[in-house]
Amino acid sequence: MIWLEGVSYLRAGSPALGDVTLGVSRGELVVVHGPTGSGKSSLLAVAAGVRAPNSGAVWIADRNIAGLQASSLPYVRRNVGYLPPSPLLIPDETVLENIMLALAVRGEPIDSAEADARETLAMVADSAWENRLARSLSTGQQRLVALARALVGPPPLVVVDEPASGMGGDDREGIARALVWARERGCAVLCATSDPSFAEMLVDAGGRQVHLEGGRITGAPAIGLVPAPVDSVDMRTPGGFASPFGPPPATPTPLASLGLAIPPAMVRGEQSSPAPHATSDAEPEKTESAETIGLSDRRSTGEESS
Amino acid sequence: MTVAWILRRARRQSPSARRTLWAAAGSFLILGLVSGATILGLRATRSWMSTVDHGVHVIAFLRDEMEPDQAAQLVDLLRRRPGVARVRLVEPAEALARLRGAARPLPATGSWLDDLEPGYFPRSIEVALVSSADLPQRATELSRRLRGLAAVAEVDAMTEGVARLEAWVRFGQRLGWAVVLAAGIAALSFLVSTVLRGREARRRQAQVLVILGETAGKIRLPANIALAAAGLTGALAALVVLRLAWPALLTAVERTLGIVATPVVVSLGFWESAVCLLTAPMIGWVLGYLSTPVHGVVDA
Repeated sequence: MIWLEGVSYLRAGSPALGDVTLGVSRGELVVVHGPTGSGKSSLLAVAAGVRAPNSGAVWIADRNIAGLQASSLPYVRRNVGYLPPSPLLIPDETVLENIMLALAVRGEPIDSAEADARETLAMVADSAWENRLARSLSTGQQRLVALARALVGPPPLVVVDEPASGMGGDDREGIARALVWARERGCAVLCATSDPSFAEMLVDAGGRQVHLEGGRITGAPAIGLVPAPVDSVDMRTPGGFASPFGPPPATPTPLASLGLAIPPAMVRGEQSSPAPHATSDAEPEKTESAETIGLSDRRSTGEESS
Repeated sequence: MTVAWILRRARRQSPSARRTLWAAAGSFLILGLVSGATILGLRATRSWMSTVDHGVHVIAFLRDEMEPDQAAQLVDLLRRRPGVARVRLVEPAEALARLRGAARPLPATGSWLDDLEPGYFPRSIEVALVSSADLPQRATELSRRLRGLAAVAEVDAMTEGVARLEAWVRFGQRLGWAVVLAAGIAALSFLVSTVLRGREARRRQAQVLVILGETAGKIRLPANIALAAAGLTGALAALVVLRLAWPALLTAVERTLGIVATPVVVSLGFWESAVCLLTAPMIGWVLGYLSTPVHGVVDA
């Protein structure tokens, strides 16, 4: 679903990310864990199409969005449920209107958007908040509402930055459940946290953990398995939003038999050509690049990376 | 975002956003009133000026023994003089009728006016000169020449009064321009500050919409449409107010200044109204565009 390859990003002239390669497939939950200042927020902003990388490629459903014109990026962003580090809400609008806004941008009918927004709010927070103005909420409550906005729909790709920051035990469990809910609906979920216990909670719920330090991924491999069948999502045209996909299979399947939404060009070390949808018979060549990202071991064993 | 969503969001906008829009519409109304009043005021002043310029500058009272055809010859001679705009022979009966007409509204005139004989006033010639900077000098010169004629009993030169009135009108015009300029600047400043006051809220909204994947054009569209509508509303209201209030205001001014009512056009013409109705929404659209920052809002 999303594939970042060799991404570097400078923040105010200083390197925030250095040659990061990371993939998240449909129906997969990836937890990026690292200390404050390790580049998590930069990585997620790049993945969400909010910031452009200085080098490297960001593939989302066959498209390298790093090569898109700025005017095309909104059509990518509306397929990404992004929770920024600070919960951006419109203060003078109600909680329900703030959540519905994500569906408004996607052109969803108003009635169904209202029902979806209520359902997501009830799942993530408290449905009694729906008519409260966003400015009347506490920071933690605003964060939950912003998370509900990121999950409503749900979009094919969910990118959440520190969703449990400053939250209590029940809220953290609720957030973890909501992220698993999105994953079970076929979303590719990328979550960043500096909280080891929350990261552990997500890993226990079936997430794959990636450690980020000093703007580089360390330790665990940057790519996992693809548990869900790959469907087509057309993000290239306005209004081309496609609903997410069916639930993932109960048992993780070996990568080679399912196909991975990794552009073969990436594996071959090519970056310019658009990547076709991966299919079961489009197995990437085993090359030096593939080994570098830790593909070869898991392809042979079928083990979960986490 | 579809049209249905934009309309829904417009209906549900916050009270502060509504107040901003009403204040913007009010500013457009003031701007429209100031601009329209300037145009109509200039038109009225020009009309008053032309009334003064084409008024009578010199009156020559003829002796009783002068025959009518001699008077007509004198009128003809005066008409041929350069710098003379109009010459009119006023018979005694007409002069008396004018006096009666002018004195009727005055109190305590009694019935003595009715007792006056038709030949009470002498026959006279009224001369209007072409307006120019040296009008007083030319009027004085003409008066001197007319006094030299045996058939002329007396000459009344209106030079001083004309010059004084012209000076007052010019002063009034300058004062009017200063007031109009100050009012225009004040209304424009109020409009811009009102619109920009909502800029921070729109910036926040733009940040959210950019992250959610809305295009720059559609992020700006609601503000563009709302302020253009405010401009159109203000301009329409200004035209209606001017149409209703200007004639009464003009009459009051003319009565206060003692100016005879002139056939001034009391409302703006079709093209003037059309320009007003087109310009105000365009200004609103541009202000909406400028007051909604879109680019770089996420990185900020």
